[in-house]
Amino acid sequence: MMAKLKKERKINIIDTTLRNGEKTAGVVFSKHEKIRIAKMLDEVGIPEIEVGTPALGEMETDMIKSVLQSGLHARLYAYCDADIEAIEAAAGTGIKNVVINISTSDIHLKNIYNKNRTWLLNRLREAMRVADSLDLGFIVSAEDATRTDLEFLLKVISLSKKKGAHRFRICDTVSRFDPFRTFLIISTINNAIDFPLEVYNHNDFGMATANGMAAIRGGAESIVVSVGGLGDGTGNAALEEIVMALRYLENVELGIETSKFREIAEYVAKASSRAVPIWKAIVGTNVFAHESGIHADGVIKNPKNYEVFNPAEVGLTRQLVVGKHSGSHTILHKFKEYNIDLTDKEANDILAMTRAMSVDLKRPLFDKELMYIYNEYKSGSKEKKKVEKVKS
Amino acid sequence: MRELDLLTDFSQKAGITIDPKDIKIDDTTLRDGEQTAGVVFANDEKIHIAKMLDKVGVHQIEAGIPAMGGDEKEAIKKIAGLDLNCSVLGWNRPVQSDIQASIDCGVDAVALSISSSDIHIEHKLRKSREWVLDIMKAGVDFAKSHNLYVSVNAEDASRSDMEFLLQFARTARDAGADRLRYCDTLGILDPFETFLKVKNIIDIIGIDIEMHTHNDFGMAIANAIAGIRAGATYVNTTINGLGERAGNAAFEELVMALKFVEGVDMGFNTNLFRNLSEYVARASNRILPTWKPIVGGNLFVYESENKVKGILADPITYELFEEKDVGLERQFVPGKYSGASAIIQKLKMLGHRIDEKQAAELAEIIRKKTVASKRSLFDSEILDTYKEFLGSPKKAKAGKGKDK
Repeated sequence: MMAKLKKERKINIIDTTLRNGEKTAGVVFSKHEKIRIAKMLDEVGIPEIEVGTPALGEMETDMIKSVLQSGLHARLYAYCDADIEAIEAAAGTGIKNVVINISTSDIHLKNIYNKNRTWLLNRLREAMRVADSLDLGFIVSAEDATRTDLEFLLKVISLSKKKGAHRFRICDTVSRFDPFRTFLIISTINNAIDFPLEVYNHNDFGMATANGMAAIRGGAESIVVSVGGLGDGTGNAALEEIVMALRYLENVELGIETSKFREIAEYVAKASSRAVPIWKAIVGTNVFAHESGIHADGVIKNPKNYEVFNPAEVGLTRQLVVGKHSGSHTILHKFKEYNIDLTDKEANDILAMTRAMSVDLKRPLFDKELMYIYNEYKSGSKEKKKVEKVKS
Repeated sequence: MRELDLLTDFSQKAGITIDPKDIKIDDTTLRDGEQTAGVVFANDEKIHIAKMLDKVGVHQIEAGIPAMGGDEKEAIKKIAGLDLNCSVLGWNRPVQSDIQASIDCGVDAVALSISSSDIHIEHKLRKSREWVLDIMKAGVDFAKSHNLYVSVNAEDASRSDMEFLLQFARTARDAGADRLRYCDTLGILDPFETFLKVKNIIDIIGIDIEMHTHNDFGMAIANAIAGIRAGATYVNTTINGLGERAGNAAFEELVMALKFVEGVDMGFNTNLFRNLSEYVARASNRILPTWKPIVGGNLFVYESENKVKGILADPITYELFEEKDVGLERQFVPGKYSGASAIIQKLKMLGHRIDEKQAAELAEIIRKKTVASKRSLFDSEILDTYKEFLGSPKKAKAGKGKDK
């Protein structure tokens, strides 16, 4: 169980940036952006994409049609509640596959639908019948599955299997589980019913990616992701984190062109009027920036001291930042880039000046500022006074 | 809930029970947080953060690196002299001059950090395993001779040979170290591996373990929790997860995950979390993303019909904790995914009543406007839309004025 995943295991990812990503309060994509994002995901080899929610009306169905017409290789899904009108609206766009979502927990049944479990089973059965009659392939998605009575959940899964669903989605809607419980619920279901499972995680406690990976370990075949983790509330498992975690922590290669990850993250960030935090795992610009003496020195000696993969693999570049925490090796290395060979003493003196200035400015220094320091250091006593001033 | 009884719990199975009283937070915002490329705190900011951390209830503050001297040493000295309830720790390489600098600052605890992986020993330190053990032991001896609490940090522990790491832990323990910091320096562990490795060290060496995890693959929190589940008793956190590269385990996420996912309530003043996070974000010159777990401004903002309906019926429908628990506010924002409920709720807050049928019609109009402007509408725009919908342009103007 604790061993790495078998290399030959086939893992599917389905991206929901265009659906749950857009559902985030305050985020709205234009038609042009939706098409562009779908194309970018398709180009890097994402096998499945959720493109939108047809029940929202004509604007949305129009966008979905446009995505359908852009000649993508990915399998495309529309997202519907277990509602006949919603499913008919999906079929009207010409899409071939849908996600049929229904909340299965008693808490949701009471507070959202104000109905009982029998009502739910009937509603789902009817929705699947309609989807089938409209020749739609479908995934059944159980919202709030992690707060659902397990026996009832198994019943819903059995019903979905019987009625011809592709697979069954387990949603940890309120982020109730950690990786251990995620593993256990997925493996328990997996042992009880022979049917492909998919997981959908939220990041309320910062564990979306870990939970997604735990589910895969527990036997799930598919995972829902979004670019940068964009999604309602705290968001979902991030596409780039899952793909790279599979590659480097589990040795599972999905064959996705990861060198475009930074570009995609930037585009989605702009389209959703958000920033890519510089510290964002995998695609943040600071992920390959090294300042502290120990780290920078380690990276200069050998990148694998502090890097698991080459920054180019995700479309980033390595940076050596010179500031308060720099050591003399960074200074030597930095000046070498400008063809200046410093002695150890020079490097140490310049380091002291660099640290003082960095503390004073409350930020690292630009290369140009380093050169100013160097010039001041090299010039006569007249200039030296100025430096003393900076130091104090 | 039946499923939790059905499933055998990993920790229980391993015979581990977690007592909230045993779990301690050692916050390193001021050390690993500031060590982040590009981040520099002013001394006043450091002191302010230290005071806030103490007020919130952390057990230990890693205040900085005394050996850097200058301003850094000054700040640590001041923090150590603040008479805080928590312990104050200085970070050191295991060399006498570093530790002496910590002693000069008046801290009561020290971290002695040295790499334990062959990759680091060979490519960074360019030394041998024996050299590492010797220098670490000498460091612990010196620190203990000055009555300091000692956390020995195994840097890059997660890439270390387990046999050597056990030897490293044993040497630290025998020299009198109080705990071992298990550093997943590159953030390459997953929770299952973390669990096994940490449990192994505890079982064989029996030393207190502190988790220091990084978020390179988005698993810092899950790995810290895995460590606790395996019997670790300390976690090294930072506010907002501020730290090298993708950062560390975020303090606020860890504390809330322990409380609401693991059922381990450590009794922190969580209602101060938003303030603390905002302050650290500003001092580190970074944004606090609206979607940041626990403290993001968007977390209790509801737009879609089901969510609004569910929250109004009972917040438990979509929330494991409430907005006031972390110092945030709940909001309903009508938008592209909204139905009647969000409209009714929003207008109610703006002092207007609308029936469900009208609200559903208005929702359609607001959806179109939201898509056209590619963002949520302001309250004033919603009011304008509402007045226009009622067919009274005069009132619309009045509404706009009132809203300001």
